[in-house]
Amino acid sequence: MILELKNIEKNFGDKQVLKGVSFTAESGKAFGLLGRNGAGKTTSIRIMMDVFPATNGQVLIDGKPIDYSKVQFGYLPEERGLYPKKKIIEQLTYFAQLKGKSKKEAVEAVDYWLDRLGMSEYRNKKLETLSKGNQQKIQLITALAHDPHIVILDEPFSGLDPVNALLLKDIVKETISKGKIVLFSSHQMSYIEEFCDSIAIINGGRVVLTGDLQEIKRNYPRNRLVVRSPQIQQIKNESGYTCETGENGELIITLSSADEKAVTMQKLTSKYDIDEIKVYEPSLNDIFVEYTESQI
Amino acid sequence: MKQFRKILAYELKNYFTNKVFVGITIFLVIAIAVVMFIPRIVEYFNSEEKAETTESTASVMLIKSDSQEQADIVTQYFAAAFPEYEVKSTTDDLDTIKHSITNQDVECAFVMTGPTEFTYYVNNLTMYDMNCEIATDVLRDVYRVNAMLENGMTLEETTEVMSININAEVESLGKDQIENFFYTYIMIFALYMVILLYGQMVTTNVATEKSSRAMELLITSAKPVAMMFGKVLSSCIAGFIQLLLVFGSAVLFFNLNKSQWGDNMIINSLFNIPMELLIYMLVFFVLGFLIYAFLFGAIGSTATKLEDINTSTMPLTFMFIFAFIVVVTAMSSGSVDNTLMVVCSYVPFTSPMAMFTRIAMSTVPWYEIAASIAILIGSTIGVGVLSAKIYRAGVLMYGTTPKLSAILKAVWKA
Repeated sequence: MILELKNIEKNFGDKQVLKGVSFTAESGKAFGLLGRNGAGKTTSIRIMMDVFPATNGQVLIDGKPIDYSKVQFGYLPEERGLYPKKKIIEQLTYFAQLKGKSKKEAVEAVDYWLDRLGMSEYRNKKLETLSKGNQQKIQLITALAHDPHIVILDEPFSGLDPVNALLLKDIVKETISKGKIVLFSSHQMSYIEEFCDSIAIINGGRVVLTGDLQEIKRNYPRNRLVVRSPQIQQIKNESGYTCETGENGELIITLSSADEKAVTMQKLTSKYDIDEIKVYEPSLNDIFVEYTESQI
Repeated sequence: MKQFRKILAYELKNYFTNKVFVGITIFLVIAIAVVMFIPRIVEYFNSEEKAETTESTASVMLIKSDSQEQADIVTQYFAAAFPEYEVKSTTDDLDTIKHSITNQDVECAFVMTGPTEFTYYVNNLTMYDMNCEIATDVLRDVYRVNAMLENGMTLEETTEVMSININAEVESLGKDQIENFFYTYIMIFALYMVILLYGQMVTTNVATEKSSRAMELLITSAKPVAMMFGKVLSSCIAGFIQLLLVFGSAVLFFNLNKSQWGDNMIINSLFNIPMELLIYMLVFFVLGFLIYAFLFGAIGSTATKLEDINTSTMPLTFMFIFAFIVVVTAMSSGSVDNTLMVVCSYVPFTSPMAMFTRIAMSTVPWYEIAASIAILIGSTIGVGVLSAKIYRAGVLMYGTTPKLSAILKAVWKA
């Protein structure tokens, strides 16, 4: 299954919030939707889920306009919230039923997920009695219990302790392996880098960069080397390369051409005590900042 | 449709598991039971009391006149006219009389200052004190009898003149307003309470979902129209069931105590509401409820914080209170067909109460009723559609409560 947003535009009154958003997400892969605050991520997600229509553009599934009666979405909104005064089992089955499950199926699915997330003991408790992290886990169930085709997770890791984050990672990996489209929206670049094969960066209502993450990284000029060594200062002074020091004390050497990589690496390793030497690939964080710094 | 049914069932369940809702219903049923059993209870205590106390002391009424003859005659006549008083003639001076009244030894006093003049002394003049009027009538009769006797009529003749009976019969060709007043009032009041109460509940429900951010998820799980209609209809059904329970238990308890109530006109008229009127009540209740509940729901969707809803619902509440006041004023003045009422009985937001009152207390041609109901149905559908649009636009607006113009703009663009 391929989900495609094609040239989506959205106006609220006179304000154009989306100025042509296009990207493609495939099943069995995770997709990262990045952007600064107010860039238009949530609006794009809402249009994708048919909360409101786009002013222009199309949402396609396998090249055809999406049929919302057939494609199910699971959504973990960034603004978490359920009914605080309702029993957990009641509201979870309610939401699953709203998504088309029968009562019996809903209860079964919810019980499975409560067990999976280690939350079974809270089954008949009111939501407000739970801690924030546990409420978050409950909220996650609303996104998964009805077995949707497309799962949209907005900042899924915020507020989770490391153990729960690990649990969520497992669940996300499992969901991806089940052949679902998983859409991430997050500011925590490390998680996006870990899970997502493809990304789209939205800035000022436009997609400024989209594609396979590895490819994007590879497309950066490969004329830089990262060197870790106890002799960094010596290298800097003696070698005569254009050098700068990176954030974590590593040395970044910029060559005049990518062709000089091999020779330079050999030279350095033979001459100095080198712990690590590799071609510099920008981190997602660098890419994100580069593309979103300028405008909003 | 399936989604709508699911929402409806969920919201209804919320009402019926809500402790406040259940508590109020039970309280009302018990209160009605107590009221309906009052005659039985009173009777029970009365029969006990009667056995114990043989005689109760009546309050004292003093008559003072400068002429002994007048004092005797007046005392005699007043004794007949005020059977609940012990009427005594007195020769004390005015200050003594006043003193004994303020001391509450004596309830009241008539001091005659001439054959047709008197001063009535009483400690606290209650709203229902008719003594002065009765005394005036009695004295007028005494004066007339004396005049007739003086002019040569015999005592028999004067008695005949004074006791002449006029036979009068009243036949109302339309509605009897006296009989209809009480049940119309109760029904209007029930309508008023239910709409305001449940309207506020719908607003609070929607605003709570929005402020707890459950809306973020709901809006992606269900169609706004289904959510809106599910909420409004569930509160309509809950309100209707509550009314049915309250009035049903009233009828039940009344029938249990029918003999005790005897021929209490008010109570009997309450339980003799014509079927036709009950059907009109149902129609106007449902339509009136829906048109207001839709708007209350729409208002709830535009509120960002729960604290805001009181101010945002105020215009709507005022409009409704205005309708209520117009109707009640017209009812108590007796002119339910005045121009304001006629106009109000066509305006959708006032017609549920105004037209219903006119039907109940006056005679309204069928085409006027039909026109009023048609306008109301049309506007209810219109308001429903508009509210669903406001809801759809409103639920995703956070931050400050948007201005009306901003909402309308968003509705227009959506």
